[in-house]
Amino acid sequence: MTGTVLAPLFVDALGEFFRPGTLSEVLLNGLSKAALYAMIASGLTLVFGLLGVLNFAHGSFTMLGAYLGGLVMVVLVGSATGDLARVLFFLVGTLVVFAAIGALGGAVEVGLIRQLYDRPPIYQILLTFGLALVLDEGARIVVAFYGLQPITDWRDALGTKPGFMAENLEVAGLTVAPLALFQIVFGVVTIGAVWLFLTRTRYGMVVRAGSEDDEMTAALGIDVNRVFTTVFALGSAVAGVAGMLLMWDPVWGASLPLAHETLLPAFVVVIVGGLGTFRGTVVAAGLVGLVDATMTWWFQNAITFTGLPEMMIFLVLVLTLIVRPQGLFGVEEVGGH
Amino acid sequence: MSLLELDGVETYYGESHILEGVDLEIEEGEVVALMGRNGVGKTTTLRSILQLTPPREGSIRYRGEELVGKETHEVADAGVGWIPEDRRMFSQLTVEENVRIAVPKGSDVEAGLELAWDAFPDLEEIRDRDAGDLSGGQQQMLAIARGLVGENDLLLVDEPSEGLAPLIVEAVHDALEAVAGETTILLVEQNLPMALDLADRFYVLDHGVVVDSGDADEVSTDSERLRRHLSA
Amino acid sequence: MVAALALYPFVYALLVASPLGTEAETLLPRVDTMVGVFYFGLFAMSFDFVSGYTGYLSFGHAIFYGTGAYFVVLAANGQVPLLAPGTPFMLMLLLAGLLAVAIALAIGALSFRLSGVYFAMITLGFAQVAYVFVRGWDYVSENPKDGAAVSTDVHPDGFDVGIPWIDALNLEIGRLTGDTVEFLFVSLSGTEVSYYMVGLVVLVCYLAMQRLIHSPFGTVLLAIRENEERAEAVGYEPFQFKLAAFAISGFFAAVAGGLSGGYGRSVAPDSSMYFLVTGDALLASIIGGFGTLAGPLYGRLFDETVREFLSKRGSGGGLLPYLRDHLPASVIEADLVGGLTVGGAIETFLNGHASLYVGVIFVLFVLYVPNGLLGTVRDRLGGTVAKQLPDYLDRYRRD
Repeated sequence: MTGTVLAPLFVDALGEFFRPGTLSEVLLNGLSKAALYAMIASGLTLVFGLLGVLNFAHGSFTMLGAYLGGLVMVVLVGSATGDLARVLFFLVGTLVVFAAIGALGGAVEVGLIRQLYDRPPIYQILLTFGLALVLDEGARIVVAFYGLQPITDWRDALGTKPGFMAENLEVAGLTVAPLALFQIVFGVVTIGAVWLFLTRTRYGMVVRAGSEDDEMTAALGIDVNRVFTTVFALGSAVAGVAGMLLMWDPVWGASLPLAHETLLPAFVVVIVGGLGTFRGTVVAAGLVGLVDATMTWWFQNAITFTGLPEMMIFLVLVLTLIVRPQGLFGVEEVGGH
Repeated sequence: MSLLELDGVETYYGESHILEGVDLEIEEGEVVALMGRNGVGKTTTLRSILQLTPPREGSIRYRGEELVGKETHEVADAGVGWIPEDRRMFSQLTVEENVRIAVPKGSDVEAGLELAWDAFPDLEEIRDRDAGDLSGGQQQMLAIARGLVGENDLLLVDEPSEGLAPLIVEAVHDALEAVAGETTILLVEQNLPMALDLADRFYVLDHGVVVDSGDADEVSTDSERLRRHLSA
Repeated sequence: MVAALALYPFVYALLVASPLGTEAETLLPRVDTMVGVFYFGLFAMSFDFVSGYTGYLSFGHAIFYGTGAYFVVLAANGQVPLLAPGTPFMLMLLLAGLLAVAIALAIGALSFRLSGVYFAMITLGFAQVAYVFVRGWDYVSENPKDGAAVSTDVHPDGFDVGIPWIDALNLEIGRLTGDTVEFLFVSLSGTEVSYYMVGLVVLVCYLAMQRLIHSPFGTVLLAIRENEERAEAVGYEPFQFKLAAFAISGFFAAVAGGLSGGYGRSVAPDSSMYFLVTGDALLASIIGGFGTLAGPLYGRLFDETVREFLSKRGSGGGLLPYLRDHLPASVIEADLVGGLTVGGAIETFLNGHASLYVGVIFVLFVLYVPNGLLGTVRDRLGGTVAKQLPDYLDRYRRD
């Protein structure tokens, strides 16, 4: 890689990058990633805002959601199942995953995390970290028991995707991936639903109040512990549903490493957006998704450094913490939790 | 039967022993002032009643029912309201939402809002602003409004005049006087004239125990009896 | 305890040869495993040095461990500028440590303005940047994702532990390349020599850290952990103390990483720089005792013992080989449910899944034994074990 070779290559790549076809592709890719990050990170940020717990097991919920969703699809979908039926089954699977992972999350809050609220926050990190180990290894046992390869994607689950999502469409000279569109729509609907819940319902109002001051909320006659459980369950459930969405995506797929692959970017998103702020998380998810997609393109086309996208994401994290530790939308004094 | 009865209440923050056996009684309909220097445990007494900082020893009975061991929200459900020091608005909720959330579950929210706006017409005009953007006086009014709509039989009011301009203090005084007509109040207040004017009776706290008590009429604001305990 | 560890290889050899040999082999960690316990235990202790004593969770601590391991392997391959492949191993360790100090000062200067979760996250961020970098850096080897190994052409010898340039005071470590020793009636294999030499370095490092903890410096660290504002009010600048602790801890973490690189003659990104490596140190620290310095070593010992006991490969004993040898085939092959045999069940649910059981134990420790093994024992005895145990026993004798 000498300078003389690199320079024209770089200029070429730059020209290529700014072609409408490329830009739209990167944009679509970035937005689909943003939708997924927003789904996973919103649960993380809600839980942190309300309970002050940074949940290291959050990615494991996504991973479990991917496997559970895959299981539902593999059971329901046969080779003769039509595309529309597959999409309907997917929605059924979403409900199953939402309920099951939500229940699991609720149980975790009641059974484990609740016991630690009066200890220093470091113990909550430790607890959820240990929980992640247990969930991941437990999943490995089950997955291996059924003869699935735990590291690579679950192919049968990938195969339940409707045919029209498997290949790209050409629209007006632009390449469009239907799967990415599906992810974006699904993500927007989910995030929109959570946002409506937070701003338009009494329960959502209680959640926002509790995030700010749980003592005052309790003194108004509200059972804050039950709100904690509900929010933890909700956050876990949405993370699980995101996993269901990833199960169809060949870039991710249902696999054990999915737990870490989603946890780390989700951490970046919540920190960049400002821990505990829902709006900040959504904006940061967009930002991180677009950075990720842009860097992925550069890595594939111009710069041969394998870790480029990932490295950029962590650099964004580090830079945010140096320049504006409270994140884009965070207002709280840093380190309070 | 007294409305509220504290009997040998001992409360700790971690290892620090703050309340070392507090006894006090409040009858229904009274306004009782709780006085004392900074750091003698006035706020802790209120937090103990609310079970926010549960006592290790002693008993707190409300209408004869033991509160120690209950959850804070159960204490609140029983009819005990809190207007805390520093107001503690939900700053990211609107004024209206701050009132809404204080209306007990199952009660008529619209009626609650009506009540609050009637008592504090100024608040209605800014109902859509974030509570965090309000002035100190407005926040105090909102805090009192929250206590008002909470259908409480006993209000624990902590330093309502702290940090407010004299004119606003007067408004707060009037608001509390109006509220006192409806509910029993336990008032922690540094502003002696205001406290003694509102109160029927007083208790003085020092080093975690009650050292004096009596009728508010017995003492005037410059009485030697109070000054002994209150000056640093 | 040092004495017990010094005798361990002999005791292990004796026990394995004894009539209870198979039981001993099943339950006790192999000497080879113990070498890993030592250097990783040192890493866990260095993690405890900063996190346990200042309360700042250094979640990117693996960056220092990785720095040490990569430095040694690259230096041995002649890939570190100005450093000949034949540089004494001890010097390499020292240089690796100093490099880690420099990195720690840079990271710490930026990170200690934050606290709590934010501090954990920024250190994690730095370490992950480094992890992704070395994983893609083709200077390291042709396939950087798998790491690099010490080339037998460039660096055929083992790595010497001892006093540099004095041959007689050095012994080589390594599984296969290490020195063997014949002395009087004692003969030590390469692994056993490694056990002692790695153990020696770890012991020296531990003593150095212990001196620091018990010095006025350590007292200030504890004051910071308990109440940072108060420490500041009495005239200590917490930032400088935290930074110093971070740098010192980085130094010893790099030495630990260097030992792992030297003993194993290789380095891989996933077992040196990845955030789960820090997670393993965290695990060891919690089980052993957070803020006890020596505890993390015991925590690691516990962790490794369970892992070996439930090992998939079955080398060095373990549960399944033991049962195969000692239970009649009819029991092993017996059907539990739907064609699942007893042996199959162990294979499926136990072997290779130590993470699950260690994870459960970890969670139980966080919930119910927050002071860990050593911390709890010390609490019971009312002081460090070495100081209090004799008194304690004395009291019982007199009763």
